[in-house]
Amino acid sequence: MLGYTITQWLFGILSFLAIMFGLLVVFSRNPVNSVLYLVMTFFCIAGHYLLMNAQFLAIVHIVVYAGAIMVLFLFIIMLMNLNEDTEPQKTWITKIIAAVAGGLMLFVLVGSLKGSEQLALNVHGSTQIGLVKNLGVVLFKDFLFPFEIASILLLAALVGAILIGKKEVK
Amino acid sequence: MKGFLVISLLGVIAMLAEVFKFKRILMPVIVLGILAAYALNYMEWTHPFSIPYFDNMISFDKIALAFTGVILITAFFWFILAHSSYEKDPHMVDHYALVLFAITGAIMLTAFTNMTTLFIGIEIMSIPLYVLAASKKENIQSNEAGFKYLIMGSFASAFLLFGIALIYGATGSFDLKEIHTYISTNAGNIPSFFYAGVVMMLIAMCFKISAAPFHFWAPDVYQGAPTIITALMSTVVKTAAFAAFMRLFMISFAGVSDVWSHILVVAVALSLVISNLTAAVQSNVKRVLAYSSISHAAFMLMVILANVRSNLSVNAILFYSLAYSIGSITAFGVLNSVTKYGKESFDEFNGLGKRNPLLAVCMTIAMLSLAGIPITAGFFAKYFVFTAMMTTSYKWLLILAVLTSAVGVYYYFKVIIAMYFKPAENHEAVKVEIASTLVIVITALLTVAIGLVPGYVAEMFTF
Repeated sequence: MLGYTITQWLFGILSFLAIMFGLLVVFSRNPVNSVLYLVMTFFCIAGHYLLMNAQFLAIVHIVVYAGAIMVLFLFIIMLMNLNEDTEPQKTWITKIIAAVAGGLMLFVLVGSLKGSEQLALNVHGSTQIGLVKNLGVVLFKDFLFPFEIASILLLAALVGAILIGKKEVK
Repeated sequence: MKGFLVISLLGVIAMLAEVFKFKRILMPVIVLGILAAYALNYMEWTHPFSIPYFDNMISFDKIALAFTGVILITAFFWFILAHSSYEKDPHMVDHYALVLFAITGAIMLTAFTNMTTLFIGIEIMSIPLYVLAASKKENIQSNEAGFKYLIMGSFASAFLLFGIALIYGATGSFDLKEIHTYISTNAGNIPSFFYAGVVMMLIAMCFKISAAPFHFWAPDVYQGAPTIITALMSTVVKTAAFAAFMRLFMISFAGVSDVWSHILVVAVALSLVISNLTAAVQSNVKRVLAYSSISHAAFMLMVILANVRSNLSVNAILFYSLAYSIGSITAFGVLNSVTKYGKESFDEFNGLGKRNPLLAVCMTIAMLSLAGIPITAGFFAKYFVFTAMMTTSYKWLLILAVLTSAVGVYYYFKVIIAMYFKPAENHEAVKVEIASTLVIVITALLTVAIGLVPGYVAEMFTF
């Protein structure tokens, strides 16, 4: 089709959708809509993972982010009754400064990618790395230390959440 | 490495103290544990070589061990100082566990040799601090501090991750040494998004050490957090963040210093001017100390600039961390005792020279050291920075640093003047627990001692 392979078509469509939904997250006024658009963005990114032959990552991405974390977001937004009316509006000057800063950032990032299409594509490692079996080997062999020490991180987050959540005993 | 394991184990033990009902002996256990970690750390220090652990994920070389030593010494003093504040707190156990986890992350940051370890280390150090900053739950300022720190910190982490991803995209490796090799073998052929990654990591690290223009969170967080937590943030966390900064930019990115050193020069100049000028007009002592910590960050950044240019040893930055940490422990210890009942303005120090002469003398020493007046550790810390800077082409930065330090003397002396020359409103003596007094006196004595024999300490840090 038009000289592109099916993978390239899929990549293009998924990227377009991901960026569109990403923009909608920012531009929609209603927080609930924002969260729903974010879920859609996550699905598109999971599609990208599938294209890169990383099925495990794709499923985890959907289960954890789109499933668990976004549901948590929705609950909190609904419990705190955030909606269009209660959302504070920023002043024009803040909006302009934010737009300029964000635009410059985009400019730098796009500019830094210039010329990289000429780079020889060097594939690091095997293309099968995203499969569960290979991922497990990498995780428990090369990256054993970060993997194990992440337990301290989770423990700290857990203790912290309890400390914040506990009732003050008088 | 053994010291690191001991500290992380201590965190887990502290967490269990509530359940297994050994809350009352927890404090001695922690202090002994830190001493044991320090001893193990020292034993590794005497070995002539360092072994990378876990497939080159973390490596305790001499620099890492020295920074770990500084962190452990400060942590030791901090726990004794903090115990008087937390003794009666029903959440004492949780606080101590979180602090120990934060120190675990801090030690990781001194020794990482891989980007993944760097990221996890930063998160392990930061997440407990977000919670601890907000731990005075009924205080709205503390809540604000915690929330602000969380949001801004997550933003910086996002920058860090984006930077790591771009660098991985260019080099195909997370390993610091391999990135270094990549830079030297591919000189002139490096894709430009690699530089974008370096700059993004620079932004994230500048945020963590609160250098201007990424410093906006620091005054609010330092002021809002409980004083004793602020003491932790400006000593242990600062030292660890600097160790990480130095490791990252001097091992990995030294080859592309042309790209980031210009940005760093601007950051240093801005930090020096903004922090000192703003601190001079503040009325809250904690806020002043926050701005002063930004200015000290600028001094330590100057060492990184100098080292890249001239390959001087890292002892200047280690000496600075040690002098600044010890001085800060004294200052925050006194501040914590004086401002126990609320306000944190300079007026709280009025007449302290009469209300508690010992405390006033110690505070004077700490302020002199932070201002960089001779025969204190702070003077020689600044002296070593200046000698390192003399070898570079940034001599104008040196002049700026001297000028802004002169402004700094003004706000440090405001405390001393209040203590000795202003009449007190209430004449009752300021009571301090014996343990806290001991820590304050010992750290003040250490400040003077390091100032008397600076050569000895500097030699210890020469590799």
